[in-house]
Amino acid sequence: MPGWSGAIQTMILKRRRDLLHRWEHNPIITYDNVPLQNNTVFNGTPVKFGDTYLLLLRVEGQQGYSFFCLARSEDGLNFNVDEQPCMLPAEDGPFALWEENGLEDPRITLIENWYYIMYTAASGYGHRIALARTADFEKFERIALVSGPGNKDGVLFPEKINGYYARLDRPIGNGVGSIWISYSPDLKNWGQSELIISPRPRYWDSTRIGASVPPIRTDCGWLEIYHGFKMTSSGPIYRIGTVMLDLENPAKVIGRCLNPVLSPREEYERVGDVRNVVFASGAIVEDDGEVKVYYGAADTSICVAIAHINELIESCFEENDSLIEDFCKTACPYRRNKEGE
Amino acid sequence: MYRIAHKTGQEVVQRYKYNPLISIHDLPLDCSDIWNAGVIRFYDKYLLLLTVETLEGSGCIYMAHSTDGYGFIIEPEPFMTASREEPFARYETYGIFDPRITQIDSKYYITYLAESEHGRRIGLAQTDDFETIERIQFISEPDTKSACLFTRSFEGNYAMLERPSAGDSIWISYSNDLIHWGSSKVILTPRGGFWDSHRVGAAGPPLEIEQGWLLIYYGEKDTSSGPLVRLGAAILDSNDPSCVLARSNIPILAPREKYERIGDVGNIVYSCGALLEEAGQVKIYYGASDSCICLGISSIEEIIQICRDGREQYKL
Repeated sequence: MPGWSGAIQTMILKRRRDLLHRWEHNPIITYDNVPLQNNTVFNGTPVKFGDTYLLLLRVEGQQGYSFFCLARSEDGLNFNVDEQPCMLPAEDGPFALWEENGLEDPRITLIENWYYIMYTAASGYGHRIALARTADFEKFERIALVSGPGNKDGVLFPEKINGYYARLDRPIGNGVGSIWISYSPDLKNWGQSELIISPRPRYWDSTRIGASVPPIRTDCGWLEIYHGFKMTSSGPIYRIGTVMLDLENPAKVIGRCLNPVLSPREEYERVGDVRNVVFASGAIVEDDGEVKVYYGAADTSICVAIAHINELIESCFEENDSLIEDFCKTACPYRRNKEGE
Repeated sequence: MYRIAHKTGQEVVQRYKYNPLISIHDLPLDCSDIWNAGVIRFYDKYLLLLTVETLEGSGCIYMAHSTDGYGFIIEPEPFMTASREEPFARYETYGIFDPRITQIDSKYYITYLAESEHGRRIGLAQTDDFETIERIQFISEPDTKSACLFTRSFEGNYAMLERPSAGDSIWISYSNDLIHWGSSKVILTPRGGFWDSHRVGAAGPPLEIEQGWLLIYYGEKDTSSGPLVRLGAAILDSNDPSCVLARSNIPILAPREKYERIGDVGNIVYSCGALLEEAGQVKIYYGASDSCICLGISSIEEIIQICRDGREQYKL
């Protein structure tokens, strides 16, 4: 079988640490750091507000539903969590029915002086995507529920595209969770939906994927840091990947990582309420190109991992290793037969 | 009323004597199944848009026309087939199904189910003459089905009913341009312990009546041999159709006849459209066992009475 040992050797040589480098003092926030009785804290979304780094945290209370708290930091690494929650499930009004089981997984996007928060509203009717906004992180104003049931992981693009607001989200189609894009003239009514990224058979993101970080504008396109999981007999393994979308037409995928940029390896990612999960929900791009990716680990703590923006861009354009391709061709009888036809 | 057969069962909808109206033998092609049909009165004709499942297994839409609403002639060529052109084709690879026709002002809109490996979503198409048809857009993400438009707008907004898979309930959404939709709300949910305990969906565009909107819906109950699908009715508020005024506790039509019991998917009566006729008559065109199209007839009054007798929490 020619090429066999060569390919394996290449695979071993190419093995490396995750592209995202964990901060040595991870996790940066655990339930002990939240001055409220709570079960866990995870999936925080960051934003730079003046000189302060803010993290909007999903805190799961002991009673089991989640709400949002703010954490503040001077350096983006050491955070203090506010004593009071900043957004609780609505108790009356049009949102109450949809938020009965809590608020989950916020993502912040700044558009024209407003900080928009896309979050998941949980109720007995299913998960829906909701939108709120704030100018000062003191007063939060709910705008609308922007999806039907069975949808989550909504992230808003930071600018209009061809005159429309745009978002990524993750409905379930034919039992498969994929990333779709939708557009809106007013942030309330949404349409023109298109499927843009699906799970890949054989890969680490073979079972389900969803948007994680609000898309980041780069010279090469929109960088989307997403999550994907592969189902195993002991549950899913959630990992973080990257994909590049066309600047003019973000429904067009121009590059996608082959390998995850972060996988659960550390104890705080392996052990927790939902083990083997790293789940990004926001990033800060510093002036020098350093990207701080904030992620929830094992649904039990908030961590940060760092890479240069160029590394993340390059990860979208990794090429299939030709030796491994050769290996697949020669070792896999099905493919060999097919190509022999 | 001479055309009505004797009453079978307890339901208020009575079957047309010569049911089924259309079966697969009437079609100009070999096919596996004939499913559900949308209906509209177009000038002096009754038009049915039939869902046909081809032998290969994909869905397409044929048109049948009639002068009296009873005897139909089927067009030899399909009215609408799965698109082969993007951006539509990739969402219609398994076919198109369940068309529902709504007339809004002078335009005719068809909401249909587009199915592919990416799931089920709602397509919107438009025609003026029922000869040419133009696709407008997909108006939902997956997975959702059983969509229909209301025949008029509400404070400038079009309204649509649909049945997202998550929750198996009927939802309403609004739009001012038919493309971008929002303000979604659940309006009718399955009821534990009732005949519609598992799933509910709109069985055609709501009919505007004096008391509001008459919504005929299908309800499913899960049995050990598969779902049992029946038709029920509800009345929605005239100005705020998200508000259910009354809902039937019992079905208005249930599978009883052989042609409703036996077929590729047995024990189904499922409709995509009904018509209001003179003297308060309602003609419900329904698919039976996914194998034929039938006609059921009732009076508005009787259906309203059944809704009024419904659960106390809804008041008419």
